[in-house]
Amino acid sequence: MTAIKIENLGRIFSTTTGTIRRTRKDITALENINLVVEPGELFGLLGPNGAGKTTLTRILSTVLLPSSGRAEVLGMDVVRDTKKLRPRIGMVFGGERGLYWRLSGRDNIQYFADLYLVPPEVSRKRIPELLDLVGLTERADERVEGYSRGMKQKLHIARGLVNDPDVLFLDEPTIGLDPIAARELRAVILEMNKRGKTIFLTSHYMYEVDELCQRVAVVNKGKIALIDTPSAFKTMVADLEVVEIECREVSPEALARLRAHPRVASVTMENHEGAQSLQIQSPGGVESIPEFVRILEGSQVQKVITRQPTLEDAYVKLLGREALNS
Amino acid sequence: MINRLRSVLRVIAGSFTMQAKERATNQFFVGTLLVLPIIFTLLSVGTYLYGGKGNFGLYAVIGAGMMGVWNANLWTSGRIVEGERRGGTLSMLIASPTPFPIILVGKSLSNAFASLISLVVTFATGLIAFRLELDIANPAAFIVSLLLTLISMTCFGLVLGSTFVLTRNAGDFMEAANYPIFILSGLMFPLTILPAWLRPLSSILAPTWGNLALGASAGLVADNPWLIDLYLIGLSLAYLMIAQTLFKKVEYLVRRDGSMEVF
Ligand SMILES: Nc1ncnc2c1ncn2[C@@H]1O[C@H](COP(=O)(O)OP(=O)(O)O)[C@@H](O)[C@H]1O
Ligand SMILES: [Mg+2]
Repeated sequence: MTAIKIENLGRIFSTTTGTIRRTRKDITALENINLVVEPGELFGLLGPNGAGKTTLTRILSTVLLPSSGRAEVLGMDVVRDTKKLRPRIGMVFGGERGLYWRLSGRDNIQYFADLYLVPPEVSRKRIPELLDLVGLTERADERVEGYSRGMKQKLHIARGLVNDPDVLFLDEPTIGLDPIAARELRAVILEMNKRGKTIFLTSHYMYEVDELCQRVAVVNKGKIALIDTPSAFKTMVADLEVVEIECREVSPEALARLRAHPRVASVTMENHEGAQSLQIQSPGGVESIPEFVRILEGSQVQKVITRQPTLEDAYVKLLGREALNS
Repeated sequence: MINRLRSVLRVIAGSFTMQAKERATNQFFVGTLLVLPIIFTLLSVGTYLYGGKGNFGLYAVIGAGMMGVWNANLWTSGRIVEGERRGGTLSMLIASPTPFPIILVGKSLSNAFASLISLVVTFATGLIAFRLELDIANPAAFIVSLLLTLISMTCFGLVLGSTFVLTRNAGDFMEAANYPIFILSGLMFPLTILPAWLRPLSSILAPTWGNLALGASAGLVADNPWLIDLYLIGLSLAYLMIAQTLFKKVEYLVRRDGSMEVF
């Protein structure tokens, strides 16, 4: 049996605007999604903001209905078999909402243990274990409102595990966390996967998916652009090298000429404090460095380095530069 | 079966205590429990006394007490759902294997019992401000009636609360429903002055019968309080069944429309 099976799934949201002249607008959040996740897999859904990641996670965790197509989790239909399915899955949505801030961390988990009908003799053992797993034991009896963002996120995960689910849905679990907290959380996610849980994780951080996931689906504007292993995904850009150039005052003309250069696949530019960092994806980029520098003559080139392409570069090649700006 | 019942009771108890803990830190609720009952009592008893019907003092106190209890209750049905939606916990509650009405029962009962405080405030106001004599004919029936009143009002709140999942302004709706329900259930003035065609509506409202049961136990009306108590039990069960069925439909609608979250 597959852990997750999605067939031709679609979701449309209807929204109305205006009070007097009501106009209806349909937003297609997901379109014709097909996907299979095997038991024990740590599967990543990667995509920019608004791609439809949360919508898909909500459908799979039974809180939203699809508009078309179907999906099964653990062989059960997410629309009809909710009664049997809900006790066996866990869901964690990123961000600070979804916790009772006035209660302690322990009370939060205990309450959900009750809601998931976990027998008291089981929860008595499991809750301290979970608090330990996420490193919250010492602060477990303090009110959640005093927790840092990272602690809240860890509590979310412990809460999502209280019913010992077979499949765990994690929607952008590290969003807004500082690098250290994010790394700790990723370690917890890997540990859960090692213990045999199927994990369906969404993210818009490439390195996170690269580090954690065995397979990844890239979604954009409600459609799947690619499903593969992160390393196979990276071979898309294996023939490329990335030339990073730091400079100042890049003119639009120079940028346009770079982009038009026959050996340039794409250019992304980031601004920080007056300086610009250009990332040029180019096959055989090293040989072209003198030409790139010449094009940027008026732009005070300060540093040039070359590096191997990352998953992020593959992502840019697949979805275009706009996908990064979210 | 026994295990199932046990876990349901555990959820109710869990929801009861967590609601109590949440409430303990909320000042708004203090206003609802302490300040409003005083105002209700002054208004109702004052109106009766001014009308020269001094012997209706106790009736008015009970009515005001019921209004206080109901007001605390409306918090439950309206504000609980609204608060859970705002806090992002509503979808988690609905995604859990426990049916949502059971969760609401626990939280509502918790608020209903807290509302007993408002009842005490009401009686104290009546005693102190108007020097009323509260002499209750059948204390045992009065206490049983009081408990059943709380439970049946909670179950009534549940029917409303289930549908509140559909709207993002549940609290406002509830507040708008406040006075019509006070009037329809005879809390503000006796039912006999309502037009006859409104009576059937009154007879399906929990506060009507709670009010009657308390009045009968206090010896204000000639009815047998125990009979009314029986009716209150039946009414509560009926509300529960309605809430269950209604919520199935409601859950389908919120899953279809994606309206469990604030957007
Ligand atoms: N409840 C909703 N009502 C209307 N539109 C929605 C709703 N939920 C999501 N959307 C829209 O669907 C699209 C996908 O959103 P979402 O799944 O949240 O994307 P992601 O999680 O990848 O950022 C967006 O255009 C978003 O505005
Ligand atoms: Mg999202």
